[in-house]
Amino acid sequence: MFEFRGISKGFFGVPVLSDVSFSIESGSTVGLVGENGAGKSTLMNIMGGNHQPDAGTLMLDGVSFEPRGPRDAAMARIAFIHQELNLFPNLSIAENLFLTSFPRRGGMPLIDRKTMRKRAAALLAEVELDMPPDTLVEHLTAGERQLVEITKALSIEARLIILDEPTTSLTARETERLFALMARLRGRGIAIIYISHSLDDVLRICDRIVVLRDGKLVASGPREEFTKERLVTLMVGRAIQQYFPPRVTRPSADPALEAIGLSHAGVVHNVSFTLQRGEVLGLAGLMGSGRTELARILFGLDECEHGEVRVQGRSLRSHSARESIRQRVAFLTEDRRSEGLCVEASITDNLALVTLPSLARLGWLDLGKLFASTAAICMAVRLNRSARASQPAKSLSGGNQQKVVLGKWLLAEPTVFILDEPTRGIDVGAKSEIYTLINELVARGVAVLVISSEIEELIGICDRILVMSRGELRDEVDRPDFDRERILRAALNKP
Amino acid sequence: MSLASPASFQRLLVPAQRLLLSENLVLVLSVGYFVAMWPFTPGLAAPENLKNILSAMLPLLIVAIGQTFVLISRGIDLSVTSTIGLASVVGALAMNGESGWFRDSGLVVSAGVAVMLSVGTLLGAINGLAIARLRMPAFIVTLTTMMFVSGLAIWLTKSRNIYGLPAAFNVVGAYILPGVAVTLAVAVAAHLSLSRTVFGRWLYAVGHNERAAHISGVPVDRVILSAYVVCGLCGAIAAVLYTGRLETGSATMGQRILLDVIGATVIGGTSLYGGKGKVLWTVFGVLFLTLIDNTLNLQNLSHFTIMIVKGAVILLAAVLDTVRHKLAGKLADV
Amino acid sequence: MSSAHPRLLLIALNNAPTVLFALVLAAFGLLAPQFFTGQNLTNIGVQASSTAIVAIGMTFVLLTAGIDLSVGASMFVGAAVVGKMVLAGQPLPLALAAMIGVGAMFGALNALLITRVGVMPFVVTLATLYMGRGLALWITQTRAMNLPESFLQLGSLKLAGIPLPIALFVAVLVLAHVTLTRTPFGRQVYAVGADLEAARKAGLDTRRILFGVYLICGVCAALGGIISLAQIGAVSPKFGEYREFTAIAAAVLGGTSLFGGRGHVLPGTVIGALLIQSVENGLVILNADPYLYPLVTSAIIFAAVLLDSTRNRVLARIGRRKIRIEETK
Repeated sequence: MFEFRGISKGFFGVPVLSDVSFSIESGSTVGLVGENGAGKSTLMNIMGGNHQPDAGTLMLDGVSFEPRGPRDAAMARIAFIHQELNLFPNLSIAENLFLTSFPRRGGMPLIDRKTMRKRAAALLAEVELDMPPDTLVEHLTAGERQLVEITKALSIEARLIILDEPTTSLTARETERLFALMARLRGRGIAIIYISHSLDDVLRICDRIVVLRDGKLVASGPREEFTKERLVTLMVGRAIQQYFPPRVTRPSADPALEAIGLSHAGVVHNVSFTLQRGEVLGLAGLMGSGRTELARILFGLDECEHGEVRVQGRSLRSHSARESIRQRVAFLTEDRRSEGLCVEASITDNLALVTLPSLARLGWLDLGKLFASTAAICMAVRLNRSARASQPAKSLSGGNQQKVVLGKWLLAEPTVFILDEPTRGIDVGAKSEIYTLINELVARGVAVLVISSEIEELIGICDRILVMSRGELRDEVDRPDFDRERILRAALNKP
Repeated sequence: MSLASPASFQRLLVPAQRLLLSENLVLVLSVGYFVAMWPFTPGLAAPENLKNILSAMLPLLIVAIGQTFVLISRGIDLSVTSTIGLASVVGALAMNGESGWFRDSGLVVSAGVAVMLSVGTLLGAINGLAIARLRMPAFIVTLTTMMFVSGLAIWLTKSRNIYGLPAAFNVVGAYILPGVAVTLAVAVAAHLSLSRTVFGRWLYAVGHNERAAHISGVPVDRVILSAYVVCGLCGAIAAVLYTGRLETGSATMGQRILLDVIGATVIGGTSLYGGKGKVLWTVFGVLFLTLIDNTLNLQNLSHFTIMIVKGAVILLAAVLDTVRHKLAGKLADV
Repeated sequence: MSSAHPRLLLIALNNAPTVLFALVLAAFGLLAPQFFTGQNLTNIGVQASSTAIVAIGMTFVLLTAGIDLSVGASMFVGAAVVGKMVLAGQPLPLALAAMIGVGAMFGALNALLITRVGVMPFVVTLATLYMGRGLALWITQTRAMNLPESFLQLGSLKLAGIPLPIALFVAVLVLAHVTLTRTPFGRQVYAVGADLEAARKAGLDTRRILFGVYLICGVCAALGGIISLAQIGAVSPKFGEYREFTAIAAAVLGGTSLFGGRGHVLPGTVIGALLIQSVENGLVILNADPYLYPLVTSAIIFAAVLLDSTRNRVLARIGRRKIRIEETK
C-alpha cells in the first residue's frame, strides 16, 4: 500500500538517508528500529511532508505521493503519533479530536456541540476509552492521552498510523491495552509503523522489522528472522558481547542511605529500606506506583509527613536538595529535558552547575579549575569526542545529553546516587556505556539506587531489587532469586 | 569546475555571516551609523557633543545593566523607572535645605545617598520576594509596583518638585567625571559578577531552566531575589545621577525612559526568554539607542519624529536578531 | 488531614476575582451608602466600558501567549485622526470608521511582524507603541484638540434606555464570549496558546489565527478609544497613555494567564475591569485623596494576583496527591 523507493536525503551535504526502500501492506505492522541518528525521524518527517527527499519517491497505492506539509499527510489519511503527544491539555477530548474539522451547525460559524459530542463518544467507544468527551485532556493520564491520539487518527479514518515510541510514558497495564488496540486496528486493515527502542515489544507485536543504521537500510524481513541479539548487532554494527557488563565487586555491609518509615498521605506509605555502600539497588514498579515520588522525597525535593532519611548514618533534618548535595547525594531525574539539563546552556556550564561553590573561593570562580575538571569528567563519562565544551547541550544526542547529566553529578563525587530511568530514550550503545559507568561507581564504593520500568535492565545490573506498588514496598528480591514473573506480579500487586 | 561560482559566493558570504553572528554586531552598527551620519550632521563629532552622548548614556546604562540581570533570570522589571522617581523624591526630602531630615547634619550628602540606595534595594527586595517566594508573575508584580511606587512618590510630593539640594550633592551632575566613575564601577562589577562568580552562573542557570537549577542545588529563590535587588539598586544609583544633574527631586523623573531601558537591553541581544545576556551587549545597546537619539536631536527633529525613528530602530534590531537566530540555527544543524 | 479542607480552599481560590470583587463592593457599600444606588452602579458600568472593551481585545492576545503593548498608542493615533477629521468638518460616522480602521491597521501591522518576520510580540508591540505615539504627536503637533459638542453627546446617548457605552460594551462582550467558546476560531485560539508548535503540527493555520487575535485587539482598542473620546471630549497628548497596562491588569485580574491558553472574557476579564473601575468610583464617592487612587488600585490588583498564584501553589500540592488516586482506580 505504501512504499519508500530509493529515498535519499542530506542536510548541508551530510547524508542522513541513503537509498532507503521498503513497503508496508494494509493491515500489517512494521517495526522500525535503529539507534538515535540512524535516520528514523528524518524518514518520518519526509512522510509527513516536513522535508522533501533529495532523491527517490514515496508511493501511495502505486501513485507517487509528494506531501508538502502536515495537511497533505492528513489528506492521504496518514496519522502521526509522536513521542511528545500533540494534544492540548486546556481543551476537551472532543475539541482535541475535531480541532481542524469542527462540526458546524448549518451554515453558521458556530460549533455544533451536540454532534461533536456524539461523534466523539462513538470514536472513544472504538478505543474503549470510557470518558465523557467533555473531559479536559489535562485530567487524563499518559495512557489515556495516547488513546485520545489514536482516536484522533481514527477520526480522520487513517489507513496508516505511525507510532513513535508510544510506550515510554505508559504503565504496564496501559501498554497492554495499547497493544490489544493495535491488534484490533490491524484487523480492520490499518497499517502501522511502530518505532521503538524496546526491542522486546518490537519482536512481540510487529509482522515485519526494518533496521536502519547510519541512514541505510541494513535489514528488513518478517519478524521470525530476527532475535534480540541479532537486532542489537544490526543496529550497532558490531556485536555487543556483554550488554550488561559483569561486575566483580560486592556490596559492603555499610549503610549509605537509610529510609525509615517514610509516609506521606496519598504518595508513599511506610517505606523503609537500607542501601549499602557499593550496592546497586533496583526499584521496580509501574508508572504511578510512587517510585519517582519516593526518589524525590529521598533527595529532599518533596516534603514527607512522617519518617526520616539518613545518609551515612546522619539524619537529614532540614531536608532540601541543597542539604542532600552537601551530604553528597546525587539525583538523576527521569525527565532529562525539563529537570536535568539547561538545554540552551553549554556543556561546560551544565557540567559545572552542581559543583560551582567548590570551584570558587568566596563566590569568585576559579575558571582554570572549572575548565580542567569539566574536561576531565567529559572523558570519564565517555562523552562524544567531537563535542565542543562550548556547544549547547541541546545539540547533543539523547545518550550524550544523559552523559552530561551524569557527569554533572559525578563531579560532585557523590556517595549515594539515585538514578531515575537513566536509560530512557537512549540508544543501545549508550545504554551499555551507562551500565559500565554504574559498575565503575559501585567499585569505588558509591551506593546506587536505580529506578527503571524495564525489569530486564534491573535484573541485568542490580544486586537487589525492591518492588513498589501503590506507594508501598511489596517485595524485596536478592540477585540469586531474580525472577521476572515474581517482580511483575508484585508490581501489579497480585498475590 | 562547475563548483566555482557557489564557492566564490561562499567566500563572500562567510565574512558577512560572521559579522551578522558576531556578538559585537551592535557595536559595529553603532560605529557604522556614526560614520554614516557624520557628513549630514553638523557638530556630531564635536567634543561638546561627544560629551553629551556620554552623559546621556550614563544613567541609562546603569538602569539597563540592572534590567539585564532581571532579564537573564527570565523576569522583567517594569517598576525600575518608578523606583528612580521615588528614590529621587525621598533623597530630596532627606537632603533639601528647607525641610530636609538631615539638613543640619555634616554628613547630609552621604546620608541622603544612603537613603536613596536603601529605597532602591528595598523596592527590589519587595519585587523579588513576591516573584521568588510567592511565585507571582514578574510582569504583573512589577506592573503593580510601578503603579504603586510612582503613586507613592507623587503622593509624597503632591506633584511638586523639590529644590534646594546641597551643593555638594549637585556636583554629581554638574561634572561628568563622577558619573563616568560610578557607571564604570557599576559596569565592571556587573560584568565580573555575571561572568566570574558563582552567583552569575546560577543566574544564567535559573534563567535557562529553573527546575533543573533547583535540583542541582541552586538556591533559586535567593538568586531571583538578588537579581531584583540588583535592579532596584541600579535604579537608585541612576536616580542619584539624575537628581544631581537636575538639582531637583522629582516624582516623574525617569518615567520616560522605561521603554528605552528595555529597548536598549533587548537591542544589545539580551533575551526576554531568559538565560542570555551580557553587560557588554547592554553597553552596545545603550550606545546605539543614545546615538540615534543624539543624531536626531542634532538634526533638529521634533521629539515625535525621534519616537517614530526609535520605534523603527528597535523593530529593525529585533528583525536582525531574528535573522541571526535563524542563521545560527541553520549553521548548527550541519 | 482531611481532603475537604484543601478542596474548600480551592473553591474559594478558584473564584478569587469574584470573591474579591464582592468584598470590595461590600466594603464600599458599607462605607458609602450612595455607592449602591442604581445611578452609581450605572456610572461604574459606563466608566468601565472603555477599559473593559480594550481588555476583552487584550484577552484574545493573551490567550495566544502574546501581548499587545501598542493598544494605548493606537487609540491615540485613532483619536488624533478623528479629531482632525471632525474639526475639518468631515461627518462623524466617517471619522469613527477611520478610527476603527486605524485600530485594525495597528493590529494587522503587529500581526504581520509577529507571524511573518518572527519577532516576539513584546518587542514588536513595544516598537509600534513608540511609533504610534510619535505619529499621533506629529498629527496633533502635540497640541490638545477639543472636540465639538456633538461628540460629547455621543457619550450620553441612550439606546432603549441603556447608555451607549454600556450597550457597546455588552455587544462586544457577547460577541467575544461566543467567539471564544463556541466557534472553531475561538477554540483554536486556546490551542495556539497552549502550544504554538503543536498547533502548527496539528495542521492549524496558526498565522491566520494570530492575525485574527491581533486584529480583534486593535479593533477593540479603537472601540474603547471611541468611548473614552466621547467621555472626555478632547484629544490630549496623554490620550491613551498606559491604557495597555490597565487592559492587561483587567484581563489578568480576571484570571487570564500571561503564558497563554487560559482565561475567559466572561466573567473573567469583565470582573477585572469592573473591579478596577469600582475601586476608583468608590474612592471618589468616599472623597478620598486623589493621590491615593493609584496606591489603592495597585494594591488590590496585587492582592488578586497573589490569590491567583496561591491557587496555583495549592493546585500543585493537590496534584501531587492525585498520583495514587489514579493508580488505584
